[in-house]
Amino acid sequence: MKRKIELYGRLKDAGFGSSLTVEIPKSATAREALAILKPSLRQLLHGCVLATGDEVLSPADKLPSGKLALLPPVCGG
Amino acid sequence: MILITKSALNTAALDRAVSSPKHGAVASFVGTVRSPHAGRVVRGVSYDCFAPLAEKELSRIKAVVEKKWPVRVAVAHRVGHIKVGQASVAISAASPHRAPAFEACRFVIEEIKHRLPIWKKEHYASGPGRWLPGCALKRRA
Repeated sequence: MKRKIELYGRLKDAGFGSSLTVEIPKSATAREALAILKPSLRQLLHGCVLATGDEVLSPADKLPSGKLALLPPVCGG
Repeated sequence: MILITKSALNTAALDRAVSSPKHGAVASFVGTVRSPHAGRVVRGVSYDCFAPLAEKELSRIKAVVEKKWPVRVAVAHRVGHIKVGQASVAISAASPHRAPAFEACRFVIEEIKHRLPIWKKEHYASGPGRWLPGCALKRRA
């Protein structure tokens, strides 16, 4: 199924704008989804995690429905 | 009080939000955009934010710190473009005594740097801007 993944921080300079739409199996884990994103984002994917609007996903977590974002290492403050 | 905003931060409002007669100490921390950084003249910083998660994460940080110490905490983080010298983050912590208020401020800013889904891109006097490196996020235990 097609999933829209919001991009943040340095990922917005990757040439895709603020989101990326990719084909991801419905039962995929976060680890599997990151592997699918690897050819598009390459080294920019290093240190990134997937998250919903509620929490960061662990690699073994199944992708939930709803909002999905790809987050690079954070730098607040 | 938890706030993520594009507007200038009102630090006095944060202090008021946590103050009460039983709190004899109010400690504040304000982080500002600095120049130079790493040898380059900085003109400003653009902050990007995954707002829904950032607001929840700030609420979690506030809950953790208010359980850890006898404090009331208010936090605000600014996003969007910020000029050098302007505040990007502000924390106020009120406690009956000074030590927990100071410790709470330190705890909150360290948690923000490690857990808040916010990113900053520095803009320089010359040359292209640069996203600063940061800390990889992990799921909360």
